[in-house]
Amino acid sequence: MRAWKAATIIGLVAFGLTVLVPFWWIASMSFKTYEQIQFATSIYVPRPFTWENYTGLWLDTRFPLWLRNSAVTAVVVTAITTIVACLAGYAVARLRFPGRESVASLILILYLVPPSLLFIPLYRVLAELGATNSLWSLFLSYPTFTVPFCTWLLIGFFKALPTELEEAAMVDGATRVQALWRVLLPLAAPGIVASAIFAFTLSWNEFLYALIFIQDETSITVPVGLNLLIYGDVFHWGQLMAASVITTVPVVALYMFIHRWMVEGLAAGSVKG
Amino acid sequence: MGYPERWVGLRNYIYLANDDTFHAVVRNSLVFTVASVALKVGTGLLMALVLHATWRWRNFFRGLLLLPWITSTVIIALTWRWMFDAFPGRGFFNSVLLDAGLLTRPIAFMATPEGAMAAVVIANWWRGFPFFGVSYLAGMQSIPVELYEAASVDGAGAWRRFWHITLPGLKHVMVVTILLTFIFTINDFNIIYVMTRGGPGTATQVFATYSYEVAFNALRWGRGVTISIYVVPLLIALIPLVSRYLLRERTA
Repeated sequence: MRAWKAATIIGLVAFGLTVLVPFWWIASMSFKTYEQIQFATSIYVPRPFTWENYTGLWLDTRFPLWLRNSAVTAVVVTAITTIVACLAGYAVARLRFPGRESVASLILILYLVPPSLLFIPLYRVLAELGATNSLWSLFLSYPTFTVPFCTWLLIGFFKALPTELEEAAMVDGATRVQALWRVLLPLAAPGIVASAIFAFTLSWNEFLYALIFIQDETSITVPVGLNLLIYGDVFHWGQLMAASVITTVPVVALYMFIHRWMVEGLAAGSVKG
Repeated sequence: MGYPERWVGLRNYIYLANDDTFHAVVRNSLVFTVASVALKVGTGLLMALVLHATWRWRNFFRGLLLLPWITSTVIIALTWRWMFDAFPGRGFFNSVLLDAGLLTRPIAFMATPEGAMAAVVIANWWRGFPFFGVSYLAGMQSIPVELYEAASVDGAGAWRRFWHITLPGLKHVMVVTILLTFIFTINDFNIIYVMTRGGPGTATQVFATYSYEVAFNALRWGRGVTISIYVVPLLIALIPLVSRYLLRERTA
């Protein structure tokens, strides 16, 4: 037994280091001066410790604007996604209509169609609509992957909740909409929050569509902007790493808040019994 | 935008079928995907076994190990690109190896075709293995303890218990994770675009990056779409398979 315990601890340390080393690299590099990075001095710990990458990033680049664009996009997309996914998830989980099972499979299949297949046609469609080069292109395109994914999650959450409470409410004279709004949604709140956070994270991190649909430097989002901090062969590594820290912190904070639900959501998607 | 549109029949398909770059793209995509998925399955199993055996703070470690999975792939790709870098501001691996005295001067890991492929596989693996680990852990937790107890009573050792109880118990979740990840990895764009732009030469060019390059840099829209259409038969084969597995557990 002792050998197993030792092996487990070694395993935990190995996995912990594997995961943490790149994060530590990002964080420590973001606090180094340009010279420290260029001449590879004090590789492991920044000495002296400096905030110059953060101030430079904030004052000399368009990063604040990119951050705002990412935030606006993520909030709008999350709102659209949550409303559509709640209604669609409810319909598939609770209403009886012909082709219900096919709708469920179709939603899943839509989620599995990769963006790399859709980006050229989508670009043409958005260009025809005059939506390219503005955040509208992202508001319109991101729901193509967030809605199927979140609907799929919510169908599972809704199906797991008992129908008796809604039926009782409807017997007492509530309309279907009231039963959904007052009974089911409050009960499903943990699932809805988890799916909203998934939608937020997916659009916060999205890169391919953002890269293609928007060229105007004032309308791009953070992941695309990060690539603009590389000028030819010159890498502004310090600022890039500072930007990475600023971009990662909100997602990690949200994630710590819902970690349990998220793991359950993941598990609901891939394993059950 | 691009060239004037006109009907060309199957010309784009025939062109690509005879294009050496496209042959390399198919090969690279398969190497990238199979290597990444195989690594993720192996380390995912190991991670799940370690977490399953962890008696305290299991949720904490599970949360910690899942961090790469929620981090932006662009940030992950930039970070790994730098960690493999030789110069300027030498990267993590060169620093460690130089300080350990194993190297006398920095190596440009990503300058060779094999090195570049290994680097993108590692970055993709690092982002993806926690998902496998967490899924397999959930699978292991749903295997009844009685099975293990009965096997122990019958004298089965740790290896036999793993082989005859754990692995069969994980079959379902393994099929789902492998197929899902296969679909998304063979269509990956972010990691390769940010780390290598498909280079050096065409050594890491895959379906999505090549399609982007042909459509948006060479402005050959039709051919760009044709490249992604070549993946569709594979998707048509795999997507219903995954859906069936995922839907079965929903209705069960």
